[in-house]
Amino acid sequence: MTPLIQISGLTKTLTGQGEPRPILSGVDLTVHSGDSVAILGRSGSGKSTLLSLIGLFDRPDGGQYLLGGKDITRVPERRAARLRSEEFGFVFQRFFLLKHLTAAQNVAMALVNGQGWAARRNRRAKVMAALEQVGIAHLAKQRPPRMSGGEQQRVAIARALVRQPKILLADEPTGALDTETGALVIDVLHSATDRGCGLILVTHDHAHANRMRRVVRLTDGVLRPEPRGVLI
Amino acid sequence: MALSGKLRSAVVIGGQGIRARKLRTFLSMISLFLGVLAVVAVQAGSEIANRALLADIELQQGKDGSVNVSLPQHAKTVEITQEVLRGHPEVVGATGTKATIGEPGVIAINPGPVPFKYADRSQGAYEVVCESNGYCEQRRVENPAPPGQAIELQLVGLTGDIRQFRPFQVRAGQWLDFGGEPSLSPGLVLNKEAATGFAQNRVPAQMRVEGGTADATPRILGVVDDGSSTPTAYVRADELFTWLSPGAATPDPRMGGGASMTLYMWPSSQPVVQTLTARLTGAGADPSQVYSNAVDSRERIGSELDLMRWIFLGMAALVLLIGVAGILNVGLATVGERIEEFALRRAVGTPRLLLAGIVLAETLIIGLLTAAAAIGVGVVGLQLAGKVLGSRTQLLQDVAFPWQAGVAGVAAGLIAGILGGLLPAIRAARIPIATVMRA
Repeated sequence: MTPLIQISGLTKTLTGQGEPRPILSGVDLTVHSGDSVAILGRSGSGKSTLLSLIGLFDRPDGGQYLLGGKDITRVPERRAARLRSEEFGFVFQRFFLLKHLTAAQNVAMALVNGQGWAARRNRRAKVMAALEQVGIAHLAKQRPPRMSGGEQQRVAIARALVRQPKILLADEPTGALDTETGALVIDVLHSATDRGCGLILVTHDHAHANRMRRVVRLTDGVLRPEPRGVLI
Repeated sequence: MALSGKLRSAVVIGGQGIRARKLRTFLSMISLFLGVLAVVAVQAGSEIANRALLADIELQQGKDGSVNVSLPQHAKTVEITQEVLRGHPEVVGATGTKATIGEPGVIAINPGPVPFKYADRSQGAYEVVCESNGYCEQRRVENPAPPGQAIELQLVGLTGDIRQFRPFQVRAGQWLDFGGEPSLSPGLVLNKEAATGFAQNRVPAQMRVEGGTADATPRILGVVDDGSSTPTAYVRADELFTWLSPGAATPDPRMGGGASMTLYMWPSSQPVVQTLTARLTGAGADPSQVYSNAVDSRERIGSELDLMRWIFLGMAALVLLIGVAGILNVGLATVGERIEEFALRRAVGTPRLLLAGIVLAETLIIGLLTAAAAIGVGVVGLQLAGKVLGSRTQLLQDVAFPWQAGVAGVAAGLIAGILGGLLPAIRAARIPIATVMRA
């Protein structure tokens, strides 16, 4: 069976004002449909950079990246935008909700992105289904400032799920939440894998990582399997 | 379909952005408003001036595209013209003479005839005297008649309805009726200046026509605006020549007597002129004295007004440019403030082009809203100006807002929207997702 994601020898060097800094130096990762992978690592180890390469926010310097068996290592930006829209769902530590929009409009943002046009009724049905999926359909008309952190993150997850992506990329989604709410958010994310969605979770929280099928650690620019015992 | 989706997305998201930042939108509109209003005002002003000038020229010379033909002055000119034009209402002949209405044997209130505001009888009376060699000069009349209650008029005899070429506006009463038999009591239609004279002075209803054989009792039928400041009355040519031998109107010794005659017609009536010229030549008139002049008022005033229009449009463009700078400034600040939103939109699959489109859609909507406001103010302003100043300024009487000014306003709004939104749009499209989302 073709893996959803197959990455081999991925490298990336960050170039800024100072000296170029190699951050990924040969990452290998395979994710199958319904798989869930937790990526652990110290701050600055390159976890978010790896996630941004997987999510096609950025391009690697070297290595190979296959998505559904197709090489997208050097995919042009226009196709990358389409892939981000159709294949990926993103959840960030900061929820990145637009304050002037309602929860439903924030979710609909992923549908009104120029990648095809759905009729308003169709759009509304999809949005409500996504909000239902994360358990906050009753908050559809609320604006983010009037919602709790957990509710806001669930809106962000609904936004990530509304297009029924094949891969869910979550970058420290519980970082801004208390333990209990964080656990609920992980529940919601994990439930997506039951429907065949792949999940890659970047986290510092061992308890959350432990709920994933596989746990890897990014050290010295390379991913290594993390022994389960270490997480307890 | 793909373009439609992107366009709709841009408009929907742009609309959301505008609703979310009402104050900023309002400030952008204010900065742009004066510029668009200036463009609307200049365009409206030049169109109104253009129309007024054109209407004035049409009143005095004829409608654009019509032809004026001046016939040779000859003893038979009037007679032959009346004969040939019978059954041809599409060609109208006009002949001019002078008439005095009022007390006989006196100096008229406006000798000349001159407009009544320039009338001054204290300077004595003058007459034009022509010698047999054709030399004419104005001489003071020795022992002139005493001043009296009489009004001098330019009297224009018409063979048909001249309003098809010179659109006189009937201000009171009615226009001449060319159907039916001519009346022995000539029906006159006065122009506004003549009507002013009759309103200000009481004169007896006795009319003497220059070169006339007897005095007539005129009937005043109506008042028209003919654009002329000379007191003038219009009369059916056949009624005029009841009291005047056709060869006597405007006698000119150089031409051996006879009346002048001008034809008003469209170019398609040229065969009538050819027949007329042949008949006049047969009667002994000089055919080389037939002069034809096509009225090209639109082209003439176009070149007259173009320079002024461009100068004012240039000034309006400068004001508009200041507005564009304002919208650009606000646009750049807004993109800086919305950097996370744009990065997020890119993250969920919005292409760069659409992001640029969203920003442009916002500035274009702002430009269009501003244009609508400026056009609205222009329409209301013009109506107010018409009400307040219309009685004093003829230009503003019954004036309608020109559609060209509306088009210019919309175009200015769109151009300002594009110019003011282009740079912010490019900046929005270049926002790097990874850097922003990681920060």
